[in-house]
Amino acid sequence: MLIEQSAYANRWRKASPAAKGIFALGGFCAAFAAGAPAAAVVVALLIAAATLAGAGIPSGRYLRAVTPAFFFLGISCLSLAFSLRLDDGTGELSLALTPSGMQKVAEVSARSIAALTALLFLVLTTPLTDLIALFRRLKTPEVLLEIMVLCYRMLFVLSAAVHDTLSAQSARLGYATPRLAIRSLGGLAANLTLQVWQRAHALHMAAQARNNDGPLRFLEPVFANSGRDAIIATAAGSALVALAVGWS
Amino acid sequence: MHIMEGFLPVEHAVGWSVASAPFVAYGLYAVKKRIRENPEQRMLLGVAAAFTFVVSALKLPSVTGTCSHPTGTGLGAILFGPAAMAPIGMVVLLFQALLLAHGGLTTLGANIFSMAIVGPFAAAALFRLARSLKLSFAVGVFIAASMADLLTYVTTSLQLAWAFPDPAGGFVASFAKFAGIFAITQIPLAISEGLLTVVIFNALIRFNPQELKDLKLLDGSEAHA
Repeated sequence: MLIEQSAYANRWRKASPAAKGIFALGGFCAAFAAGAPAAAVVVALLIAAATLAGAGIPSGRYLRAVTPAFFFLGISCLSLAFSLRLDDGTGELSLALTPSGMQKVAEVSARSIAALTALLFLVLTTPLTDLIALFRRLKTPEVLLEIMVLCYRMLFVLSAAVHDTLSAQSARLGYATPRLAIRSLGGLAANLTLQVWQRAHALHMAAQARNNDGPLRFLEPVFANSGRDAIIATAAGSALVALAVGWS
Repeated sequence: MHIMEGFLPVEHAVGWSVASAPFVAYGLYAVKKRIRENPEQRMLLGVAAAFTFVVSALKLPSVTGTCSHPTGTGLGAILFGPAAMAPIGMVVLLFQALLLAHGGLTTLGANIFSMAIVGPFAAAALFRLARSLKLSFAVGVFIAASMADLLTYVTTSLQLAWAFPDPAGGFVASFAKFAGIFAITQIPLAISEGLLTVVIFNALIRFNPQELKDLKLLDGSEAHA
């Protein structure tokens, strides 16, 4: 997975996840607090610069991570820009580009892009295991954490199973026509469905064999300089918010 | 179709999170009870979440030629029950935001409401209704899976229309715009997802009827179909 690779290999991998979370939170607040679209765009550029130059994420990979979100932004903005009008006299429906609609598009897309860069900053610099440890420190319910930990682990196991099955089915022309594709995909998903119970049972047996008495326990990763990181992140995050609010 | 990061105004983002919270809390309570009665379920839910994530990443062949993904909410709701789908769906949506930058943290509440609450509850209710009307198993599965997908997208359109009412036509015009645009991709997708889910259950009935009977989805007579 694209984002995973960067999360494990970037310059700020060893910075404290709490600090990176604080900076991202600052970014979110700045995105929503921005008085003008221009302010939100500047916030987005600053966060993107921190991600690219600071954490050293390759720009090509960054663009590829952003693109799918832009697709949604595009089609949603399309419907914001045009106003649907029902003419009372003739009863005709008409679409019109309105200035107020364009204003809204600028405002919403600038805010979305700023918030998206904040999210990308967090996920491109912090592996999910560190984020789950952060959620644990934030007192997330234990059941939810367990689902997250197991989900993260099994994600790659099941992805590998899907990949192997797809190769095997494709090699036998399983995806040659749309009709065959639905059939093959159904077979694949049915096989995967069964694996849910089989693999869960195997995990349970493994835990039992190690005298598991209920909750799953984990060692917390230790980060040097977490205090210093938190102070820097708080300062940078507040600067973003101040910039967004003070822009005129 | 997830609402992207930062798209909703702050009141709506907070409002939908507050609306989703009781469902997730009830789901967690139900899950805890299930784990206490049957410790093996502890592992099952995590694996189920991974399964839902992986299924929603599969590429569906679509009529319009666009690349589309199933939501997996109908399948999950029939297999694991709608209450458990709220926390499972929450984790899946969180992971999609964190691993794929698909959806977002500020819009997580709104996306949970449409994909992990409305979709699964609608699927479970429709599946039960279809079974009580003596419709065949396949028809029930098709209705549940395709309607769950469709209602998810209707909910998303409602959420967007409420947040961004049309300056001239208001809420209704705005809903028509959002729903109209999404309909192009979502209606063929709902049909393909319904068909796919039927094919999945057909394969399960043929090769693994015992598992379905254990889940109380099939009665004895249908298991040998």
